[in-house]
Amino acid sequence: MQVVIMGCGRTGSALASRLEAEGDRVTLLDPDESAQNRLPAGFKGRFIHGSGSSRLLLEEAGIVHAEAFVALSPSDSANIVATRTARDFYRVPRVLSRLHDPARAPIYTELGITTVGSVQTNVNRVHHLLHHRGLEPELTFGNGETMLVRSFVPDYLGGRRVAELNVPGEIQVVEISRAGRSSVPERTSMLQPDDFVSFIVASGSLGRLRSFLDATWH
Amino acid sequence: MRIIVAGGGTIGLQAAQRLSADGHEVTIIELSAARALRLRQLGLRTVRGDAAVLPALEAAGALRAEVLAACTGTDEENLLISFVSKRHFAIGRVVALVNNAENAWLFDESWGVDAALSPTAALLSLIEQEPSP
Repeated sequence: MQVVIMGCGRTGSALASRLEAEGDRVTLLDPDESAQNRLPAGFKGRFIHGSGSSRLLLEEAGIVHAEAFVALSPSDSANIVATRTARDFYRVPRVLSRLHDPARAPIYTELGITTVGSVQTNVNRVHHLLHHRGLEPELTFGNGETMLVRSFVPDYLGGRRVAELNVPGEIQVVEISRAGRSSVPERTSMLQPDDFVSFIVASGSLGRLRSFLDATWH
Repeated sequence: MRIIVAGGGTIGLQAAQRLSADGHEVTIIELSAARALRLRQLGLRTVRGDAAVLPALEAAGALRAEVLAACTGTDEENLLISFVSKRHFAIGRVVALVNNAENAWLFDESWGVDAALSPTAALLSLIEQEPSP
């Protein structure tokens, strides 16, 4: 895969060396010429000294044939503009952008740009580790706004129906494993003690889910 | 007219002063607290904040404004400010400053820009138009 990375900082250089090691063709752009010193010795990708907003340099970097573009510069606005240009003007099929300031998240959402490494992701993660030790997410989605968690059903919930655990917009039972068999439950499915249940839950509702599953906690 | 000027640097400040003197209702959005204070001391209505996010634009009256001028010193900021002004607030006329002439090609309706001005390009065209002696 041909990848153009804007920004050769800690993340950009580490990503570039990993992709290159796996056989991808990588070109980095950074306005700071000394940034290329972050790349490992023997790095076979290209480094272009200059800004990712320059049409000339983007084209020199091979944006026209790139299959992916990743914007990892320290400036949110530079990242948004470059990412959108890569996707809409150069038709790069896969684009990603780093987001620093959560206040700008709505702009990315509106433009349909996937973001990584936002402050919000870290806040959600740290908050989760501090407050919800018992419920570790198996998967997180988006920037950590929703996650998949799994838990055994406590005795006192035996006989309750799935619909009683679902909370619209917050908690949804998506799977039940019972005696080694997994199934997608219906609203009326009955829970049994020792069922192993998968929930999709909004990060802000983990406490609520935990209080369902562990009534003695509160 | 109700006009928002995003960015209170040299160009934004002078535009705001001139438009105010002509009787327009002008609000400047400025990120730097120190600069915002100076603008207020000059008697200009000023909102301190990031002009590319909704709260600052709303506080500056974007829902009622007829014109927005994005004149910060960063082209990418000017593009985002234009985009949000047009997309969220449907401001009738959005004009933007192009700081780096190399970025001029980005300033189009896909970012909500109705008209953009590059001082470098303007200067160059003046030089090139000058008849040789």
